[in-house]
Amino acid sequence: MNRRSISRIRSVAERVLRQIWHDKRVLAFMFVVPSLAMLLFGFSFAGDIRGVRMAVIDQDQTDLTASIIDNLQHDSTFSVTQIVTDVSDPQQLLLKSGYQAIVRFPKKFTSLYYAHFAMGVATSAQGTIDLTVDESDPQIVAAVKMGLADAVMNLGEGGPIDIQTRELYGVTVRFIDSFAPAIMGMVVAIVCTVLTLLSVVREKVDGTFARIWVSPVRRAEFILGYIAAFGLIAIGQSFLVMSIGKLVFNIVINGSIFWAYVCVVLFAIGNVGLGALLSAAAQTESQAILFFPLVILPSVLLSGMMWPLQAIPKLLRPISYLIPLTYSNRLLRAVMVKGLLPWQEPVGFAGVLLFVLLTILSATFVLRQRASE
Amino acid sequence: MTDPAIETEQIVKVFGKRRAVDRVDMQVSVGEIYGLVGPSGAGKTTLIRMMCGLAIPTAGSVSLFGHSIPKEREAVEERIGYMPQERAVYRDLTVAENLLFFGQIYGMNRKTIAARTDELLALMQMPDLEKQRADLLSGGEKQRLSLACTLIHNPELLLLDEPTIGLDPALRSEFWDHFHALKQNGRTILLTTHYLEEAGRCDRVGMMRLGSLVAEGTPDELRGRVSPDGTSVSMEQVFLELTQASKSERSNA
Repeated sequence: MNRRSISRIRSVAERVLRQIWHDKRVLAFMFVVPSLAMLLFGFSFAGDIRGVRMAVIDQDQTDLTASIIDNLQHDSTFSVTQIVTDVSDPQQLLLKSGYQAIVRFPKKFTSLYYAHFAMGVATSAQGTIDLTVDESDPQIVAAVKMGLADAVMNLGEGGPIDIQTRELYGVTVRFIDSFAPAIMGMVVAIVCTVLTLLSVVREKVDGTFARIWVSPVRRAEFILGYIAAFGLIAIGQSFLVMSIGKLVFNIVINGSIFWAYVCVVLFAIGNVGLGALLSAAAQTESQAILFFPLVILPSVLLSGMMWPLQAIPKLLRPISYLIPLTYSNRLLRAVMVKGLLPWQEPVGFAGVLLFVLLTILSATFVLRQRASE
Repeated sequence: MTDPAIETEQIVKVFGKRRAVDRVDMQVSVGEIYGLVGPSGAGKTTLIRMMCGLAIPTAGSVSLFGHSIPKEREAVEERIGYMPQERAVYRDLTVAENLLFFGQIYGMNRKTIAARTDELLALMQMPDLEKQRADLLSGGEKQRLSLACTLIHNPELLLLDEPTIGLDPALRSEFWDHFHALKQNGRTILLTTHYLEEAGRCDRVGMMRLGSLVAEGTPDELRGRVSPDGTSVSMEQVFLELTQASKSERSNA
């Protein structure tokens, strides 16, 4: 390598740096993406599960149960918002009132507990806590069981307590069972957003966009065309994820597969809108690629896909509620794992519908603006 | 009396502090080939984009067949064919698939499109390339495909932005033969070009410089202004002299 060669290498490097310097968007992304990645990964992995919504049914009402409840209230894992003395069906309370766990101290809990304490191994009687927990997220279940065991252990006295868990959905839900609906949403989000974004930007770069706007095609028709294509792709992708999940991992699908497809297609529509919307901010394909980490990173880390929202630090949780995948996860888990109909999970359903409405309307508006500058 | 195919009145387009088009008045009659000539940056593309409704005029008006653009664009959109400066074809579709798509968005059925595809590919001398992907075509073939996509729905008015850019002289000449054949079929063509010698093949020519229409007329009329004694002059000389004269007039004013 001689001096002239080094000089040529320097020229190439200098030219590349100049190009980056001239494109302020690339420059900004170069610093924003690593910072964002480090912050998101750091905060997300560091989080413990906090604020699991819990109700307590205290049918025994003794000092012992009061102490356990006090321990639960002081544990940041839980947010104990209701303490009642009697509810006939804890399962209904959980399903209808949005709790994630219901702890019930049955009558004679305290006497059985102390009987075991007094008689030791001579008796099989022991206090039993009845736990009803939303099993659609196994990480929440594990955190609830651990927190409840800690609350009892912290008493520092007495015999063993049996925690009996009710299987809410008829089967034991594993991590993969609650992860599969999230993967479906994630795949649809990435493919629809990224491909729409790239396709629309490519139309702009190649000039086909201008040719289309001069034709009788309307903005809404253009978007609907994309929606139809990606809706079909989303159905195909979901079929693949569900089939592999069922055949290879034997995942639990408690609910209606039809409604699962409906929800996936709805979510796909929103993501097509998001892709079209983002395309307004990119003039070239390389600029469009810069958006990928911005779409993918927060969705993977903050949507409740990998770990429950309660495990995400409070500082970042408002961002979670702005991420469409958060609502899709909630909705698809409710439909596939809990066996509910979409509208029986109002938060997830409304979130996905709002996402669809906002992105499609704004994309149509933005494309109209862009087409007639 | 029939409306002119294109009419602009004092049309202006401003981008930031730059006047891309400055008070242009022009009329193109039905069945005419009108060439907008001028160097890059003269405002030809912006003017044609305003005619298509792709850019909104800052001031003034433009109408196609008597319909104001962009307000009444719907009334004329099926009568116009626009060929942008970029080749504007789908790289990952075949030649036939491109033509199918652009035919379908104008409401044509598959059978009609198939017949029209055969006709256009024969006209463009690319009959064996029907199944070829657009990204595998040569530059000239892509340009021909782009023109075929513009012609697929048989528009009455063709707005062609630099249709011959990048073509070799032989292919450019072929394109001009197509344009004259289209004119014979009653089509109106407005095209932009920065090849000044092509102006001589238009029925009328508008010469643009820095956003203004500095001269307009038939090629002979324009030559006559520069050489009243009938000495032969090239369109390049005509352009240089007329733009120089316009510059002097402006500075005197």
